[in-house]
Amino acid sequence: MSSNTKAHPITVEVIRNAINAYADEMALALCKSAYNMMIYEVRDYCCGLIDSQARMISQNKGGLPIFLADLGIAVQDGIERYGLEGFVPGDVVIMNHGGVCGQHLNNVVIYVPCFHEGKVIGFAANRAHWVDIGGSRIGFGSLVSSDIFSEGLQFRSLKLYEGGKRNETLWQIILDNVRFPDSALGDLRAQIASCQLGARRYGELAKRYGTETVESCIATIWDKAELEARAAVEAMPDGTYEAESFLDNDGRNLDTPIRIKVKVIIKGSQMTIDFSELNDQVEGPLNSGYSGGLAAARVAFKCLTQPQAPVNEGCFRSLELILPEGKMLNARPGTAIGQWSVALPTIIDTILLALAPALPDQIPAGHKGDMGGYTFFGARASDGRRFVLMNIYGGGWGGRPHEDGESASVSICQGDVRNAPCELQEIQYPFIIESCSLRQDSGGAGKFRGGLGGEMTLRALQKCFVHFNAERTKCPPWGLGGGLSGATNMGVIRRANGTEEIVYKRSGVPLDEGDRVTFLTAGGGGWGKPRERDTAAIEDDLRKGYISSEAAKRDYGYVAGAARTDQAAE
Amino acid sequence: MSIVGVDIGGTFTDLVGYENGRIITSKTSTVPADPTEGVAESLRLANCDISAIGELLHGSTIAINTVLERKGAKTALITTEGFRDIYAIGRNNRPDAFNIMFKRPRPLVTRDLTFEVAGRMTATGEELTPLDEARVVALGEQMVKLGVEAVAVCFMHAYNNPAHEVAAGAILRSRFPKLFVTLSHEILREYREYERTSTTALNAFVGPRVDGYLGRLERFVLDRKFAGKIQIMRSNGGTMSIDRARREPVGMMESGPVAGMIGAGRLASLMGWDSVIGFDMGGTTAKATLITGGLAPIEEGYVIGDEFTGQPMQLPVVDIVEVGAGGGSIAWVDATGGLRVGPVSAGADPGPVCYGRGAEEPVVTDADLVLGRLNGDRFLGGAMHLDRGLAAAAIQKKIAEPLGLETVEAALGVARIADAAMSLAVRAVSVNRGIDPRDAVMIAFGGAGPLHAIAIAKEIYIPTVVIPKLPGNFSALGMLMAEWRQDFVRTLFGQLAKVAVADAERAFAELRQAGEEILLADRFAPGIAHFAFAADLRYRGQEHTIPIPVPDAAALTTDTAATSALFDEQHDKRYGHAETGQLIEIVNLRLVVTVPRMEDTIGEWLSQPWEPTETAIEQSRKVVFEDPAKPVDARVLWRPALPAGTEIVGPAVIEEPNSTILIHPGDTARITAAGHIVVTLAPQE
Repeated sequence: MSSNTKAHPITVEVIRNAINAYADEMALALCKSAYNMMIYEVRDYCCGLIDSQARMISQNKGGLPIFLADLGIAVQDGIERYGLEGFVPGDVVIMNHGGVCGQHLNNVVIYVPCFHEGKVIGFAANRAHWVDIGGSRIGFGSLVSSDIFSEGLQFRSLKLYEGGKRNETLWQIILDNVRFPDSALGDLRAQIASCQLGARRYGELAKRYGTETVESCIATIWDKAELEARAAVEAMPDGTYEAESFLDNDGRNLDTPIRIKVKVIIKGSQMTIDFSELNDQVEGPLNSGYSGGLAAARVAFKCLTQPQAPVNEGCFRSLELILPEGKMLNARPGTAIGQWSVALPTIIDTILLALAPALPDQIPAGHKGDMGGYTFFGARASDGRRFVLMNIYGGGWGGRPHEDGESASVSICQGDVRNAPCELQEIQYPFIIESCSLRQDSGGAGKFRGGLGGEMTLRALQKCFVHFNAERTKCPPWGLGGGLSGATNMGVIRRANGTEEIVYKRSGVPLDEGDRVTFLTAGGGGWGKPRERDTAAIEDDLRKGYISSEAAKRDYGYVAGAARTDQAAE
Repeated sequence: MSIVGVDIGGTFTDLVGYENGRIITSKTSTVPADPTEGVAESLRLANCDISAIGELLHGSTIAINTVLERKGAKTALITTEGFRDIYAIGRNNRPDAFNIMFKRPRPLVTRDLTFEVAGRMTATGEELTPLDEARVVALGEQMVKLGVEAVAVCFMHAYNNPAHEVAAGAILRSRFPKLFVTLSHEILREYREYERTSTTALNAFVGPRVDGYLGRLERFVLDRKFAGKIQIMRSNGGTMSIDRARREPVGMMESGPVAGMIGAGRLASLMGWDSVIGFDMGGTTAKATLITGGLAPIEEGYVIGDEFTGQPMQLPVVDIVEVGAGGGSIAWVDATGGLRVGPVSAGADPGPVCYGRGAEEPVVTDADLVLGRLNGDRFLGGAMHLDRGLAAAAIQKKIAEPLGLETVEAALGVARIADAAMSLAVRAVSVNRGIDPRDAVMIAFGGAGPLHAIAIAKEIYIPTVVIPKLPGNFSALGMLMAEWRQDFVRTLFGQLAKVAVADAERAFAELRQAGEEILLADRFAPGIAHFAFAADLRYRGQEHTIPIPVPDAAALTTDTAATSALFDEQHDKRYGHAETGQLIEIVNLRLVVTVPRMEDTIGEWLSQPWEPTETAIEQSRKVVFEDPAKPVDARVLWRPALPAGTEIVGPAVIEEPNSTILIHPGDTARITAAGHIVVTLAPQE
């Protein structure tokens, strides 16, 4: 595909609209006919069109930002295996291989070839979070695995359908090896239908305008995206910028922190993100394959260059990634990667932190820094049927150079990812949710306060199990420019017998009927010195209960009716 | 007795009425400060005898604008204990995914005015904790002291068992009669606490203002011896009594756009077309709807405002796909040299450059004028002159020069990009839903619709475009055909064929009774209403449902073959696959009660034989179609002078007081016996 033949600007615009609309349409079809809450409520999926060289033509709006990197990588593997001539209409390929995709195995990629005049012109692909993929892990947040083989089934570019005929052996293997086959196979069917829709649309576009025109328009769209991104990098001051933070541990070696060190080099219109000094891969499942590192770098880059523009291959041409094998974001094949995404919000935030001195007006203080979410599972007391309740929730985002941070929002890795409604959780699972609220005093103090975390309490109505996976408890969401840190994540178990325990990371904790679990999520860091905060803003926070009077006094030196003092906290 | 429809839009207030066997119309500027004035002026301009109006139908943007401008009442919210922040937390999502300075929807109620009350129902509707009624009383007193004007009450699982809301509502309404009280279950009986809270809060927030406005409107006409009924257009495509609209104004958010689609549906039925695309192009946006069997589809909810920070509204709304491209959409060149159109609109003020009101940014209407497609001397029947020189200069400066194009070439680009964007809306409701556009008919209206419709039809291979009579006032016209309508929904969980017969029958009976009650309240004679039940179904394990019509409880319990077959078919149609034989679950039961119009005067008018009302001399002028360097000589005709049966082969421009129809070269326009224009497009490859 070359951009030598300059496409007409009008046609380019028509095709730009069309390819993005197709990806959105694929996403809608997937979401509406899905069988698990991770897809239909949480929206843990992405859909897109990929060209015949495995490059990304378009991707749906919303969904998971960290999925933007690598649908192409999954398809590339299949192209290498079968060759473009090795695909026929009616093929459906399934792919989640850990070594290639680098993500936890629940993230299953499905794609179908798209034909025009007998030739493969591209692929329609999606990735969706299956509620279960077999193996030792039940639900996200489990820390029990130590290699990929204990994490579930792997499919490496297998044809689930060949020329329209289903591979019954493969289908049976899936059916027999996942915990919730109805849900998994239902989602699989929805994924296939969504891909077929995308492939049909892209074929129609090729028929209408001709492959050459379409491809030349796409090339132009990529070139424009590259130009825009380059202009944004160009505007940043040249230099080498570094920052460091750390994660608590890998879930197995609880006293060993994980070093997150990043270097960002801006030179002209090129940005290099260097992960050479990042922690080596760890024993617990907190690693990812190369695509995890690529996702972290790309999300940070996209946020800084073209936050509003659609995602395509051209967006990232001015980004270079240095990521040696053996680092936690480029773990060797066979490594456990079940928690592949957990480190990413912190890594992205650390990239932003590195650039804060260079871009003082564009970088907020640290956000909650984890993926959030809880998993409860067990067998229903009524009929023994298995259940797993997974839910994503948000926390605070950092204060900004000109305003307070947003509260109770999903991480930088999760865009249009949604929590599950409390009413729906109670309808489907044996719990009473006793509260779902903002967490007072969790936002870091500052001229512009960090957003608030949340607080959720669930009471179990029967015996079951829960995973705790609180991260960033030792390196709290940082303040910037004198702002204070936000409160950190934690879990609390209050047993029916009156005992109480604070928990950070523990998998499969048994609960009895009547036991309560509270999840407290982190707040964002503050931006600027607390003493520079407007008194009116402090009073408004007090009136609305975002801060307590104790915190007002401690952090801001504010006491109602008295003159403000310089607080000790600085 | 006459019937009159008045539609208040962003720019114009339109009136269409049927009085003494003839159609009356008027168009006047909207008066945002006091919309009643605009209504009064439109009635005056149309010489309408208010005392002779039997039914006044009204659609208005007041409710939606109150939300968009955040100019509603001082509103409080009462929630279940533990759930104070449900409204602020929302769904935790950030659809503006890569924007690290993203903004989330800002609740219409602040946290200091959000209060918790003890009292809890379970998901199955059993009481876990009784309602703390004393606390409700105390809150009422506190709210009055704080100057609160409206309060929304939304309790957990009230969609299933509303007893606590009912009790709290009774206390608040009896003790604090000045508070505008909205209870969630009265508005919406579906789970998802955030969306239900948002919908309830929206109602409370707009309530006092809309109530006041509708009260003034009612007084205005009553003072002029009005003795008829006032019906308000609602988003679900039907109407409601003015009394209900004053209590449930959240139902009239999409009052205006919906009415035009009703008109299009009616015309489709009259013409005998099963599958029709309604296309409405105004100043700011273009809207499209797929109309099947004369009916526009209904969606369960949408977001008011922009996609990232808008307020969710979970009530049935006619499924209209809207794109930010209209006559007023501004054309611009982006930083990388790309030509863009919209989504920013010049609106009514300053409007297009060619209006000569000092605007500098060229818009689609300016491009149309430069291309010779619009007639500067006949715009709005000659009431407004359009300045082609100004339009050309602006396009030259803002578009042509930066892109290195000729002015006319740039103008053509603007028109084409607008057409491409609008065709996506049309595509979204047709091709994207499995409708082959080659089998479809497009009905185009709105001030600018007929000018662009044919280009859009060509873009996606629609062979036939219909421009109805009065295309520029079509929304007000549509109102005159709207039926009274009320939607009900009730949760009914169970498995198809396994749900207890008694439960299913009770659900049907409850909904039927609710329908009968409201019919009685609106003083309808017994037996005239139509009851249509539907069940929300899904395969077991899925979440999203598809509503499937069911005649009675047996269709869910004992006699379910047709129900499941219909569901499989619909699932396949929507999502490309069906799982025949899988267990099917029931989630909700729905009831739509409609009261058909007793007299169908407007429907009859739509099919009445057409006689020319004026005479005019045919003109001609240069119009640009395909090649900017080669304008084509096009016939210019005056629609009111064209007799039925006239055939016009393009290139041609057919002008009328409130609209302009562009016929492309080779396409054929024919005036039907009833005076509509059917354009048959020249076959494409």
